[in-house]
Amino acid sequence: MRLLSKLFMALSVLSFAVPAFAQGGTPSEVNWVAISAGFSMAFASGICALAQGKATAAAAEGLARNPAARPGIQLALILGLALIESLALYTLVIIFAKVK
Amino acid sequence: MPEQLWFTKILNHLFAGPVNSLLHAFSITPKYPNAPIPNSLAMELLVFFFLLFLFLLVRSRLSVESPGGTQHLFEVVEGLIQNQSNEIIGHHSEGYTPFLATLAFFILLCNLIGVIPGFESPTAVPIVPLGCALCAFVYYQFQGFKHAGIGYLKHFAGPMPALAPLMIPIELISHLARVLSLTIRLFANMFAGDMVTLVFFSLVPLGVPILFLGLHVGVSLLQTYIFVLLTTVYLQGAVADEH
Repeated sequence: MRLLSKLFMALSVLSFAVPAFAQGGTPSEVNWVAISAGFSMAFASGICALAQGKATAAAAEGLARNPAARPGIQLALILGLALIESLALYTLVIIFAKVK
Repeated sequence: MPEQLWFTKILNHLFAGPVNSLLHAFSITPKYPNAPIPNSLAMELLVFFFLLFLFLLVRSRLSVESPGGTQHLFEVVEGLIQNQSNEIIGHHSEGYTPFLATLAFFILLCNLIGVIPGFESPTAVPIVPLGCALCAFVYYQFQGFKHAGIGYLKHFAGPMPALAPLMIPIELISHLARVLSLTIRLFANMFAGDMVTLVFFSLVPLGVPILFLGLHVGVSLLQTYIFVLLTTVYLQGAVADEH
């Protein structure tokens, strides 16, 4: 409840910046593609890191419980990490294709 | 005039005429008529001829009584790939080793050639990984048809015949998505490695780019392994007998 009230207070403070829209002058071209590319790549990399961390933690724990199963666990770990990595790389490819 | 490597310049100097006539026969006009061979094709041809020479060399030096160093190396590679296919596909997977080993050698050399100054990784342009992925796709579909005849198409229908109208488009799209994912994984890893090394070279020209070049070498090895591993897994999906 207190978190919610702090959140609303922060949002209402942000609305103090609204008069900035009133400034005149020639509108400059904002490169929205580049801005959203930055955000999307950060998002993709962050979530990819979380997923890879989960996979590595599970592999390390499995290896600690049963060191004799090392080949199978290693195979599953490497395959899993590469597949997760490739999802973050799809975002990078879109960025290189679309951002001038 | 496009930017050409020294090897591409030699090839274009020698073969621009015949290559242009070949392209005109297919009604394709190259962007730069005096340099129709791009860098990626020149590097691919270099890797191809080097591998051909290497394989012929090993072939001529094979012996049962006194194996040399190169024979040991190739036996190690063959053992790795065959152990992996046996683990994943099971029995009778020796027939797939030649294709998988050739794919591994080709992709590994294409990835690593970019580290040498004066050469460029052909896998850093999207068309070359697409070629490798299409070869792998055609190979495993062909092996699926060879193994099961026309009954291979039952793989696309899913577990129950009642679900077939739903499963067939999903399966088709997922098979095509395999080509896309193999291509983009290899291309993006190699391209990103190049980009990251270049960016850090423009920031700190001494010392730091070596770390990223080392990372690029590690990623090249890993991506080769992943490509061959995934092709093996797709082969297993295609030729597995369901008892």
